[in-house]
Amino acid sequence: MTDFMLFLPELFFILGALLFFIFSLRKTPNPAGYHRWAVVLAAAGLLVTVASSHQEGMLFFNCYRVDLFSQVFKVLMALGTIWVIFSSGELKGIDTRQHAEYYFLIFVCTLAMMMLVSSVELLTIYVSIELSSYSLYLLVPMRRGEERYFECGIKYFMIGVTASGLMLFGISLLFGVGHTTYVPQLIKVLPTVISQPAAIVGLVLALAGFFFKLAVFPFHIWAPDVYQGACNQVTTYIATVSKMAAAAMIIRFAGISGGASPAMIKLLIVLSIASMTFGNLVALIQKDIKRLLAYSSIAHAGYILIGILTLNSQGYAAAMYYAAAYLIMNYSVFMVIMKVADDGHNLQIKELAGLHKRSPLLAMTLMLGLFGLAGIPPTAGFTGKFLVFAAALGKGYLYLVIIGMVNATISLYYYLIVFKAAYLLKPVKEYPPVRVDFWTQFMSFALVIMSIYLGVFPDRFLSLTEAAARSLF
Amino acid sequence: MGAIFRDPVLFATVLGANLPFFTMAVILIFTRHNPRLSSQLSVGSIAVSAVCAISLLAKLFFAPALQYQTLWFVSGKLNIVFGYYLDPLSLLMLTIVGIIACLVQIYSLGYMAGDPGYSRYYAFQSLFAWAMMNMVIAGSMLQLFIFWEMVGLASYFLIGFYYEKWSASQAGKKAFVMNRVGDVGFFLGLILLLLGFGNLGIPELNHAASTHGLSQGLLTASALLIFCGVIGKSAQFPLLTWLPDAMEGPTPVSALLHSATMVAAGVYMFSRIFPFFSGSHDAMQFALVIGTVTMLLSSSMAMVTYDLKQVWAYSTVSQLGYMVMALASGGYFAGVFHLTTHAGFKALLFLCSGIFIHEFHTNDMRIIGKQGGRKLKIPMVCITVGALALAGVFPFSGFFSKEAILSVLAAQPNKIWFAAGLFGAVLTAYYSFRLIFHILLPMGGIEEKHHHDDHGGSSHEHEEEHHGYIFWAMAIPVMILAGVSLVLGFAEHPLEHFIMRSVNVPGELAAHGGAALQTVAHVAAEGAGHAHESGSPMLLILGVSAGLLGIFVAWLEYGRKGASRKGFLSHVPAIWKLFDLRWFMDVFYRKGLDTFMYAGLTSLFTLNDRRIIDGGIDGICIFTEGSGRLFSFLQSGMLQFNLLLMVLCAGAAVLYFVI
Repeated sequence: MTDFMLFLPELFFILGALLFFIFSLRKTPNPAGYHRWAVVLAAAGLLVTVASSHQEGMLFFNCYRVDLFSQVFKVLMALGTIWVIFSSGELKGIDTRQHAEYYFLIFVCTLAMMMLVSSVELLTIYVSIELSSYSLYLLVPMRRGEERYFECGIKYFMIGVTASGLMLFGISLLFGVGHTTYVPQLIKVLPTVISQPAAIVGLVLALAGFFFKLAVFPFHIWAPDVYQGACNQVTTYIATVSKMAAAAMIIRFAGISGGASPAMIKLLIVLSIASMTFGNLVALIQKDIKRLLAYSSIAHAGYILIGILTLNSQGYAAAMYYAAAYLIMNYSVFMVIMKVADDGHNLQIKELAGLHKRSPLLAMTLMLGLFGLAGIPPTAGFTGKFLVFAAALGKGYLYLVIIGMVNATISLYYYLIVFKAAYLLKPVKEYPPVRVDFWTQFMSFALVIMSIYLGVFPDRFLSLTEAAARSLF
Repeated sequence: MGAIFRDPVLFATVLGANLPFFTMAVILIFTRHNPRLSSQLSVGSIAVSAVCAISLLAKLFFAPALQYQTLWFVSGKLNIVFGYYLDPLSLLMLTIVGIIACLVQIYSLGYMAGDPGYSRYYAFQSLFAWAMMNMVIAGSMLQLFIFWEMVGLASYFLIGFYYEKWSASQAGKKAFVMNRVGDVGFFLGLILLLLGFGNLGIPELNHAASTHGLSQGLLTASALLIFCGVIGKSAQFPLLTWLPDAMEGPTPVSALLHSATMVAAGVYMFSRIFPFFSGSHDAMQFALVIGTVTMLLSSSMAMVTYDLKQVWAYSTVSQLGYMVMALASGGYFAGVFHLTTHAGFKALLFLCSGIFIHEFHTNDMRIIGKQGGRKLKIPMVCITVGALALAGVFPFSGFFSKEAILSVLAAQPNKIWFAAGLFGAVLTAYYSFRLIFHILLPMGGIEEKHHHDDHGGSSHEHEEEHHGYIFWAMAIPVMILAGVSLVLGFAEHPLEHFIMRSVNVPGELAAHGGAALQTVAHVAAEGAGHAHESGSPMLLILGVSAGLLGIFVAWLEYGRKGASRKGFLSHVPAIWKLFDLRWFMDVFYRKGLDTFMYAGLTSLFTLNDRRIIDGGIDGICIFTEGSGRLFSFLQSGMLQFNLLLMVLCAGAAVLYFVI
């Protein structure tokens, strides 16, 4: 029985998924009702996840590990899920007949990611990642409207499948070298054989699947099209929740090498620099805000990698902190986008003009979110960048930190363009007023407070992430 | 923190010195739109400060110097402390500042009434009071320098108070820039001292400079550099022209900042580390020359202007020159005492002038005289008292302090300084009574058309109540100051004992400084102490007659019936023009600025800014954005191409590991 207590959050999300599966069989859809159900279920899911956040143990013949590391990420993912579902009240981007399926897939996807962060067996990991990927492959083309949204879905699928192929190949190489698919054993075996090219190639290729999810260069190519092509809520989900899972898995996998391979660290450094630079430079010229944020997410993947590639618990803790901060900041921005474009269209930057007059609260939330993404104190984004850079400096990667800082400066430019649109530009035409209900106001304040609180008093959360990072090994 | 409440002295110090700051903050943040409340808050807090200052003076009158300090921060092996130093000098100055600031703020209730910037005015007054008091009781030169700059900031705000007036904002800028020139020297001097001596604490500086014996070169260099600060703040030659321009501010500001207290900060700083300065004979000689030149130049300027406030401004500069002369020739007490008396009577002169200006809406003494200035009896009497004190007539306070200075100067081996001092005294009496006679006995009598004619100062009861309140708010501080000017001179002896108590190492000083060094206590005892009592009657006669001569000449030219009322200088237009244009100093500065700064340096810097800095940044931006566009080609919509890129990259990584 206690075993199932360990599995409680996942069970709860399975329950939610089942409920919406049943709803999806009904002939007459009831979107408002579904939304209420979803909010209640996700909120309860969050509570359950938080309640079980300090549990520890092994499940399913030891291939499923519940520890602080996985539970922290599960809480973050549950948090992101409730936020996304909360913002799905006006799901104009998706046909009302498909709303139940939308919620069903969201629940399944969150479930898969939760399983992913707990899996310590390569096959479980593969199954979980595919489960979450397939949910997303279905969610992306669900958007109603033009043909090209389908095209995005196909692209996403093709690239994802290719990445999966690379990952499977890598896993098989790892199995060939280490004669096991069990991660704790791999951690023991791999550092002794890491000098063999096959081992390191296997590890790097296995990482490819997670690089794909995190949109690290060169596996980023899906991001701009999918961000733009998916409906706003799905984009938000991809940009927030699925990043958590990817960051968690990269941390888990990078640790397998035990830091014994300088070549792999070099590769990670190259990927990190390429991601940051490419993401930031291309983001400079974007007009569509979701596309801009797609490139920004590529750049942020680079920052998270900086923390991970230190391969010590300080760096992992910093990366976890960064991921959490990124969740908050990114959701702040996306929430404003979803609210301003509540008919579900793709928001252009210039449409934000005069937002501070139309809705001062949303403008403030957007500002704090952007400042966080750009890394301006006192937001959590600043502290996150600081911690990540400090971890890298601790390992002596000065040039990496300098490049990171130059990139942060470049990124400031395009975040400020959005900020300028919201605060300084006068709208060229009359935009419909933004309706802000009580819960959105509440969320805005909560996000602003969280962002500043985490930024100014990072100690408590940081000690939690440090404990989580230590529980990894 | 608890220590503040346990120790009443410390509590009074902290409360008195810092209350105005909170007042400023409250006014600027909360009560800006309520002028009445703002002024009440400000006057109330400065009154508390004044009471604190007076009670500190009374409590510590017989106590030894007190020092409170706490470590502010540590940098390397350098400990920067923050603290208060309460010795006779700082207590005296604190009291002067507290009382005069309080009187001026009360006066301003009337003078500034109805001004749109009333709250702002009081906020800046509070800022000034806070900065000045903290500067006075600073425990180290660094702390003194910080508040020195704060005082300059307050001065800038208040000079440019009527910022919508072009000349006012220009004057504010001029004062700020000229002070900066001096402060650069001051700061460099402090750094030099820190490097050479390793400590900036005022007691240490005063003590150790004479005992440890730094190298003479270092001492002179740092003393000269620090003296630059005095030159800037106390408007000494060659940086004296900002002070007359600073009269653009409201008159109470001129009274408080630009005559009584802030500009005296330079002299105060000089006397604050007087034993240090007196370690360097060359620096003292330099200061003596500067003081003398300043005193004579500015007296000459005061002789030709018709602007009421300008006269007192030039006079302030020249009196500051007097103080510097006194200090530089070793008369520690004479300088400090003149600072004290001058603060009283010069504030009095300005505040009286302010009443005239408020009443007649002009600064021109001729017009004020014609329109019946003398009918305002209270200010007329008070301004005459002030002028008498300034001219050095017995029994007014200026007489005693001027005698003290003259006796110090007479003790100098070279009598030229004494002669210059006497000549300056003649000029001082001349220009101050030129002004008095212009108002008191205007040419052609009083024109009878001024609407204020039928209510003079004493018949204010005919006025409506509002006017009465305004008038008395201004008149009462003036009368108090006049009373102070009358009696302060007789307090010379107790003050001398009080002040000289802190400087009690004459033997050591003399031994170290060599023959040329005038020892502090020695000179004071021989000079100021004896001169006008039992010392040399000759000196007394010379001093008194210099003042009376000046007044007599002024009476001949402006006072007596049938006088030409033109002044002897008008016969030589060239000299008149020279004096009127401030010895062409401003013209010279303007030319220097135009040719060297604007045409030379500034244009080069502008070029650098436009071409190299801006151009460079533009270049970086263009490059960055361009590379963004370039990279975006990688992101084509072609799926095949994308997949190829991805697999190629993965393949390259694999190859990297295999090979």
